[in-house]
Amino acid sequence: MSTAATRPRPAERRLPGDVDMWVMVLGDLFFFGCYFVTYMVFRAQSVDEFTAAQRHLNVGIGVVNTVVLLTSSLFAALAVIAVREGEPRHARRLLLATGACGVLFTLVKVYEWQAKIGQGHTMSDEFFSFYYVLTGVHLAHLALGLLILGVAFRELGPLRARRATIVEQGVLFWHMIDLLWVVIFALLYLMR
Amino acid sequence: MTEPSTPPHRDKRAVLSAWAVLSAATVLAWLLTPGESQSATTVGNELVAAIVVLGAVKSRLIIRYFMEVRHAPRRLRHATDAWLIVLWLTLLTIYLI
Repeated sequence: MSTAATRPRPAERRLPGDVDMWVMVLGDLFFFGCYFVTYMVFRAQSVDEFTAAQRHLNVGIGVVNTVVLLTSSLFAALAVIAVREGEPRHARRLLLATGACGVLFTLVKVYEWQAKIGQGHTMSDEFFSFYYVLTGVHLAHLALGLLILGVAFRELGPLRARRATIVEQGVLFWHMIDLLWVVIFALLYLMR
Repeated sequence: MTEPSTPPHRDKRAVLSAWAVLSAATVLAWLLTPGESQSATTVGNELVAAIVVLGAVKSRLIIRYFMEVRHAPRRLRHATDAWLIVLWLTLLTIYLI
């Protein structure tokens, strides 16, 4: 892969990833945006109940998971740079580190769900029904993200074409998961 | 594939700086938020405004630096900024009214 040695001019602006992935990402951002606003409208109708329920969430666990996901995104971004530098083996290691952070995030989330269900916070509570659905749909995206990272990892293997665009697209989807989590974290854990 | 728009070492420094600011903003929001034991019902309007600003800044850093929208065509930059502004302003407005 060749590299450019000069600063970008406006004419050299390019779409990171490809149009199809951006349609998917922007669509997902729109629908998650609707979920977030819906949550806030329901919260506004019973502020005291929601605030009381939100206090049962452990902000520390949310912070740990946010930093884990941000770190995964850092590895993913570095993997794209490594591919462009023509270092597919290094990029593969970085993608593995990204996936490992994704798995760690899932384990922490499952632990948190178990703890909350153990304390009797189930779907019967309005706040917790939003909590389980929002974090659940997010986790489903993360699982899909792990699969897509797997495709990018395979692409970088020996005897493969090692197309940088495949890696860029996989990583773009992964960053979206990180982006959505940052909003979910603020909404459920902090804005109480 | 098209050429990357900046040299790799500059891109590396940019994503590392973005990660450091994002992590620091996350910890800062945590420090600002009162703990479980404190009795206040809601965290207060000023604090929520601060949380919203930090959240919006974090989201924009992820979009611009990790998703590389800072090098993207104008339409995508505007579309993502519109999503950010509409979302965070709506969330804050509903919280405040």
